[in-house]
Amino acid sequence: MATTNLGFIVQRPPYKSENPKLALTHAIASQSVEVYLEDGDIVTCDIAFVGDGVLNCLKDQKAADIYGLTSTETQVKMALLLDINVLICKEDLDRFGLSEDDIVIDAEEFGADIETKVVPYAEIAAMMEESKHLLFF
Amino acid sequence: MKLAVFVSDYRLTVDTLDRLTADKLGIILVGNGVYHASIKDKGKASSLLDKSAEFYALSEDLDSRGLGSKDIADNVKVVNYAGVVDLIFNDYEKLAWL
Repeated sequence: MATTNLGFIVQRPPYKSENPKLALTHAIASQSVEVYLEDGDIVTCDIAFVGDGVLNCLKDQKAADIYGLTSTETQVKMALLLDINVLICKEDLDRFGLSEDDIVIDAEEFGADIETKVVPYAEIAAMMEESKHLLFF
Repeated sequence: MKLAVFVSDYRLTVDTLDRLTADKLGIILVGNGVYHASIKDKGKASSLLDKSAEFYALSEDLDSRGLGSKDIADNVKVVNYAGVVDLIFNDYEKLAWL
C-alpha cells in the first residue's frame, strides 16, 4: 500500500500558452488513475499558484463565451470538486493588490466541499518538499 | 510612419518596444498583454504604460481573464475586435506583433 504525492506548480498567467491549462488538466486526471493502481495504492495531488500564476484564479472569467474554452476558473473549481488541495500564494496576491474577493474560493455550485487556500509561500515550499513528484508549468 | 504594435505577453524580457521608433505609435494590448492595462505589481502600474504612445486594450481578452473594464489605467482605451480592425485600417500604416 503506497501513497504517491504529486505537486503541480503554476507560475504563468492563463490562456496565452497551454501551460496553466495542462497543469490543471493533469492534476484533475491524476485523480482518476485508480484503475492502473494496485489495491490500496493512492495518488494525492496538490496544485499551487505562484507568481503570475495567481492570475489564473481571478473570478468572473468569460473564456467560454469568448474563446469557446473551459476557463481556468472552471478548472480550479473542478479541482476543488475532486478534493484536490489548491494553494494560492498570499505574497503574490498581495503583490498584485488582489484579495480573496477577487479570486476563486469555493465551488459550491458544483457541490465541492473544500475551498482554495490562500497561504504564505512557505507553506507551498513545504508542500513541494513533501511531494514525491513535482511538475512546474 | 504610423506604427501599431500588438503586445500579447505580460512579462517582456527583452524590451523590443524601446527600439521601435514611429511618428505615431499605438500599442494594442491583446492576449496576456491586457494585464499591463489592469494589474498593478507592488502597487505600480506596468512601466509599459509610461511610454509615449496611444494605448488600447482588447475588451474580449480583458473579459475572458476576469478583468472586465474595471481598474483599467486612465491612458488605456478599451476597444473590441471591431475597434481593433478600425485602428488597423484607419489609424495606422504598419503593424508589428510582439
